[in-house]
Amino acid sequence: MDVQEAVAESTHVASADDNGDAKRDGQRKFTMGPNDSLEGKLVYDGSVHIDGHVEGEFRVTGNLDVATGATARISIEAANVTVKGNVEGAVNVKDKLTLGKNARLSGDIVVRRLQIEDGASLNGHVRMGDIEQHPSGG
Amino acid sequence: MSSTRPAARAGTSAPAGNGSDGANRSLELGPRDRLVGQLYVEGNLRVVGTVEGGLEVTGSVEIDEGGKVTGPVTARDRLIVGRAGSLKGDVRVARLVVQDGATFSGNVSMGKFVEAPPKPVEVVESEPVKVIEPVKVAEVARAPEAAKPAELFNPAPAAQPVKPVQPVKPVQPLKSVQPVKPVQPVTPVRPVKPVQAVKSAQPARPQQPNKPPQKGKRR
Repeated sequence: MDVQEAVAESTHVASADDNGDAKRDGQRKFTMGPNDSLEGKLVYDGSVHIDGHVEGEFRVTGNLDVATGATARISIEAANVTVKGNVEGAVNVKDKLTLGKNARLSGDIVVRRLQIEDGASLNGHVRMGDIEQHPSGG
Repeated sequence: MSSTRPAARAGTSAPAGNGSDGANRSLELGPRDRLVGQLYVEGNLRVVGTVEGGLEVTGSVEIDEGGKVTGPVTARDRLIVGRAGSLKGDVRVARLVVQDGATFSGNVSMGKFVEAPPKPVEVVESEPVKVIEPVKVAEVARAPEAAKPAELFNPAPAAQPVKPVQPVKPVQPLKSVQPVKPVQPVTPVRPVKPVQAVKSAQPARPQQPNKPPQKGKRR
């Protein structure tokens, strides 16, 4: 798995606050603000908060959440995913996927647990059950 | 998605889901109930039992408390899969709620309900017709027995000159290919150490035949 492939090709990747890459409870967190954007592939050991606009591929060992108003055209691989904004792309969640009431998700989903709140919009295929893990974790 | 309502219902005009009558009708399949087949309901449906087959409901569908549905579900309003519900099948609904703990697999398509959603018109591109090469008579005639090649091969269609079918369009040049980004210069690779010259290469020993092949030799 090539971590070096993480392309820093963003027009304006930034940390919205000072805690762009902060450690919280021993867990690293990558936080984006509403005016940030990122294009490319991100492999991150920690959690990611997506806001603004992202495009590409996100592979995250921790949790990933997409804020309200954010647009993401990405394929996602993460432990837990919470979507409140717009996501277009395949979503691979090791544990739980939550779609908030304003969420819009179009893409195929593989997940163990699924929660969809009233008002969310989903288009795609859902497969529940244990995900076959990739042989190498990274 | 084609309507699954039975023929007997075809006479009913507008769906009752938005009318005052019928909207409040509610049907329940209890824990010991079991349905195999197609069900069309004007009103709401609550499934606590087992359904094997398709459901079409003008109101809402709720699957919970051990309810299990295997088959496609269409709900004009809302589909709720409760924390103890299970649904395996394709879903076409206006609203969807899946509670944590529910089991759900299938295709989901959401959005406003349109009666028989129009299929996107497929643009059938006419393939360029292959020009059939006329049978070479000369070749056939060369064969010793081929006295009447026309009878044997019946090359009638090939004989007619094929009209030039629509001229093949020149391939459009690709629009504005994104300019290739300059690749970052590769970090200089360390120069390979010159291999030491092997002194007087010994001839390879013949393998001993009775040794089993070793796996994962270390070097």
